[in-house]
Amino acid sequence: MADWKIKRQILQAASFLLVLTGLLTAYIIYLSTWEADSLANNPLNMRGAAARADIRRGAILDAKGRVLAQNRADGSRSYPMGESMAAVTGYNGEKIGSAGVEGHANRELLGLSDDLSHLGPASQLFQSEQGNDVKLTIESDAQQAAFDGLDGRKGAVVVLDAETGAVLAMVSSPSYDPNDIEANWQALSKQADGALLNRAVQGMYPPGSTIKPMIADAALAESVTNEQEVFDCSGTLDVGAGETIRESHGEVHGKVNLRKALTESCNVTFGTLGMRLGDEKLKKSFERFGFDKGLGGEILMEGSHLPAFGKLGSGDLAQTGIGQSTLLVTPMHMALMAAAFANGGVIMKPYLVQQVITPGGTVIQDTRPTKWLTATTPTMAAKIDSFMEDVVTKGTGRAAQVSGVRVTGKTGTAENAAGEDHAWFIGSAELRNRRIVFAIIVENGGSGGTQAAPIARKVILSLQN
Amino acid sequence: MKNWGLMAAPLGIVLFGMSVLYLKMNPGGSKLTAEVLQGPLNYVPWLAAVILLALFIQAVIIKRREDTFLFPIVLTLCSVGIVEIARLKPALLVRQLQWLCVAMIVMILVLRFWGRIRRMLGYPYLLGVACIFLLGLPLLFGTEIGGSKNWLVLGPISIQPSEFGKILIVFFLAAYLSDHRRVLTLPAHRIFLLQLPPLRFIAPLICIWGMAVLMFVVEKDLGSALLFFGMAVLMTYMATGSKSYVFLALAFIGVAAAASYAAFGHVRVRFDIWLNPWQDPNGMAYQVVQSLFAFGTGGIWGTGFGYGHPGFIPEVHTDFIFAAIAEEMGLIATMMLMTCYVLFFWRGIKTALSCRKEKEVLLAAGCCSLMLLQAFIIIAGVTKFLPLTGITLPFISYGGSSMVSSFVLLGLLISLSKEQEHG
Repeated sequence: MADWKIKRQILQAASFLLVLTGLLTAYIIYLSTWEADSLANNPLNMRGAAARADIRRGAILDAKGRVLAQNRADGSRSYPMGESMAAVTGYNGEKIGSAGVEGHANRELLGLSDDLSHLGPASQLFQSEQGNDVKLTIESDAQQAAFDGLDGRKGAVVVLDAETGAVLAMVSSPSYDPNDIEANWQALSKQADGALLNRAVQGMYPPGSTIKPMIADAALAESVTNEQEVFDCSGTLDVGAGETIRESHGEVHGKVNLRKALTESCNVTFGTLGMRLGDEKLKKSFERFGFDKGLGGEILMEGSHLPAFGKLGSGDLAQTGIGQSTLLVTPMHMALMAAAFANGGVIMKPYLVQQVITPGGTVIQDTRPTKWLTATTPTMAAKIDSFMEDVVTKGTGRAAQVSGVRVTGKTGTAENAAGEDHAWFIGSAELRNRRIVFAIIVENGGSGGTQAAPIARKVILSLQN
Repeated sequence: MKNWGLMAAPLGIVLFGMSVLYLKMNPGGSKLTAEVLQGPLNYVPWLAAVILLALFIQAVIIKRREDTFLFPIVLTLCSVGIVEIARLKPALLVRQLQWLCVAMIVMILVLRFWGRIRRMLGYPYLLGVACIFLLGLPLLFGTEIGGSKNWLVLGPISIQPSEFGKILIVFFLAAYLSDHRRVLTLPAHRIFLLQLPPLRFIAPLICIWGMAVLMFVVEKDLGSALLFFGMAVLMTYMATGSKSYVFLALAFIGVAAAASYAAFGHVRVRFDIWLNPWQDPNGMAYQVVQSLFAFGTGGIWGTGFGYGHPGFIPEVHTDFIFAAIAEEMGLIATMMLMTCYVLFFWRGIKTALSCRKEKEVLLAAGCCSLMLLQAFIIIAGVTKFLPLTGITLPFISYGGSSMVSSFVLLGLLISLSKEQEHG
């Protein structure tokens, strides 16, 4: 007969074991709940990456449904348009990370739905093994035309739909071929301002004369001049402190009103207006057009570098009026400025992703155009727009003319420290069913009218049909 | 005969496990293809054999009026184990089913010949010598597999003597302690605050402790060492109720641990990994760190069976199977398994409390404690609760020796549970 003492001792030992097990249980609960997220997201944890590698990445399509990026049977990624589309598609590689739409729309392309991971096994019901397709606003023809137009020269082209903000083309040159970027990564990543820099949204350039439509808008809105006033251009403008502003090529425009001054890109007139506007009003107008803002999301645009308003001398004010000084802007921003005049003073927020489409063909996300800024009034926009039409019909931008299409524009030939002037052309075109705006820069290309405006013509022709 | 309904349980559980498996075999990105499993014809006969044996055993248990809960609990654990092995190492599925058959047959033998087996309790010293002999075998003829030199390779099969040694040690402790219970509690010597009997009585205990340390240092088998040592301490307390032994044992292990930390590199490595696995997460601590990631990734609900990546953990189908379960089935499943072990333990303790003979009380308590302690040590190891040790998760991990010895323990417990009914 086993005595009660043994049984009591067994119960004590058993309780001790159960307490140990209870402690372990509590610890496991702690691991699986409190600690779970930090463990799951630990950079050394390859499970997330492995789960994503199991998913067949969706395709990137252009506005007409043509393939811009898709997976081959072996899992590698192919980019049919190669380097001409690289600024849009970006790249995606295990070792090099991702950029462009590949990076921004990564979750959509993988079909990862938000916050389903906490549903556990049920999340697998929503997780397909084929990611979603992402349909962009890009028109491949315009993109190709712009890329061909740059013809290997350094520069950038941005084409937008003025009424929606849809990005129709975004080109940066020099470019890279995303098909074999991993093999060339070493060389590419070493270049400071090389192919990996998306000049369309990250490149900072002095706008030169392309800023003049905005200065004209500011001068009229702030009543520092009117349409009737006649400026006398003698070829040079004394801006004080012994500095002068000259016309390019030593031209003399004589007596010009504001419309004529813009058409002929008269530096004397706009230098004068810059000085008349002064710090405060210039700053206000740059802010109205959003030059102090960047963009996030799918279009990572840098904010502009504005002159130090409040401390500017009259020389700097005059230089700002003709787009020089320390003012630096991105091509995307100049396209947005052009959009304000083409779209009744309203700038729509630019976007690239039009739709996200499931493998089954259901559209799960459809981007609606949204307003970004009201830059100016519809009347003022229409007025400046008509000034800009003159630039193309009888001014410096005649190379952008397309028969049967109303084209507006403004040329720019921006002096810069890097050497030869940058050639700019910004403007808009009224096509059958939409109003497009564009900004083109050819780095160190020389004259905007002869180097950049013909590219606009090519882009317009590619979109005409 | 309302208990006959319980017979459906083992069948249902195994069938459920296999149906989950079948779901996974359907197309849809699964890595578990028919080719890997070499077709259902290969494993279905073995599965059928397992189910038939399970039904037979449960029928025997019911007929003999023994504890009807222990076996279904174990089958639950086995089903989870089989399903996990089919998921993790499909090539080993048939092997595991075969081992399960062997284990169940051995268990039937234990149930059948219980009358003779219980007589072994009368020969404690023979048991002790046999145990030392068994554990000593690998020291002489051992082969090192997976970092531990505790394997005997006999032709096509390798066995782990320590898996069977643990049964003998429970027998030995039960027999020896109940024989010498009264002597051991005699306060013959007083050393500081400890009350100790003459040395010759505690010599066998010290012998076991020393063996455990030896196993660790020479065979690098920390898991078994901890298990043997823990069992010795637990059962000594159960039999004597003397805290002096516990203190003595803790002091002993403390000194031994400090000495081996200072003297042996592999001990130091294990301990340092436990203290700070993030120092070398891709090197020495890789296994533990990956195991922790598995727990974190699984979270509460798991990633879903077949949707995790337990393959990152080396040896995931044996020692780390618990981490794989945590990753794919989440906290829910790990809690269920813990509950199964605790329920098993509790039924075992209940059995022990209802036994009449002192030796059998200790044997039953020892058997079920051994199971829980083994599960505790390995689960604590994979979760970094304790330093990592290499032992199997009873009834779940892949491994023949472990499966057979666990079923022997189960057979012993069930046989002991008979007594309560017949008095």
